[in-house]
Amino acid sequence: MKLNFKTLGVCLVAGVLLAACSEPPVIAATASKRPDVAPYMGADNGFMTKGWTPGDRGSWMEAINKRNQNQSEYLRVK
Amino acid sequence: MARMKFICDTERCIECNGCVTACKNENEVPWGVNRRRVVTVNDGIIGQEKSVSVACMHCSDAPCMAVCPVDCFYRTDEGVVLHDKDICIGCGYCSFACPFGAPQFLSKGAFGVRSKMDKCTFCSGGPEVNGSVAEFEKYGRNRLAEGKLPLCAEMCSTKALIGGDSEIISSIYSKRVAVRESNGKYAGSNIFGWSTAYGPSGSPAPTPTPADKIPGAKS
Repeated sequence: MKLNFKTLGVCLVAGVLLAACSEPPVIAATASKRPDVAPYMGADNGFMTKGWTPGDRGSWMEAINKRNQNQSEYLRVK
Repeated sequence: MARMKFICDTERCIECNGCVTACKNENEVPWGVNRRRVVTVNDGIIGQEKSVSVACMHCSDAPCMAVCPVDCFYRTDEGVVLHDKDICIGCGYCSFACPFGAPQFLSKGAFGVRSKMDKCTFCSGGPEVNGSVAEFEKYGRNRLAEGKLPLCAEMCSTKALIGGDSEIISSIYSKRVAVRESNGKYAGSNIFGWSTAYGPSGSPAPTPTPADKIPGAKS
């Protein structure tokens, strides 16, 4: 009878230890990539430049390229 | 679609660190993290000292993207390499893979505990809503969505650092070299391998090499 209690104890301990095996895996895969909003959609703040229409890729590209060309002093200083 | 890149003209950079300061101020980058640094070689040797401003180069086939175990990186249609801090686990693999030392980590307390990765975003924020407070707190300003270019390049006093569409900035740089040559000055390095590295004009940004194409890699 004493042996049975010991066996029962071992089974209980093993059951507790093995309970972790039934835990659902918690991994980083639950975090998924979110789609990023394209910059030509504009920003929801008060720092937007003028001269282009948010949501219009063509006008944004034109404005950015114009600003880009301003980095050339050969074009700025005539 | 534009492929956003930086070029730093070593014949013009005067190591003023204005780009570093502008980046830190504009994006409120915390103490201990520098998204941009100025590297000087031959320091103090007259005529041989050269400085270059370095940050994330937004590589076309970025090694940080290839090694990230949680795949937190993504590339925008403009060719800007960004990452999602909600996915990043701060393991540091990207910092070992990056040849420019772009990924930065904020040291947080004892035992080498560090933050999630932080790097140059080409002033285009992250996956949060464009221009939102949440985006600013995690990634800094989203100047591209405001119709602007990165502040480090736009405020460079000598215009050593230029940033924007690769076709435009490479043409600006090439013209400079040609002018210096015609003036009899030391022209400096010309751009070489630009189209080889980034593809011809109008070509889409390449995607990272799939794992099944890499010998020994697990898919």
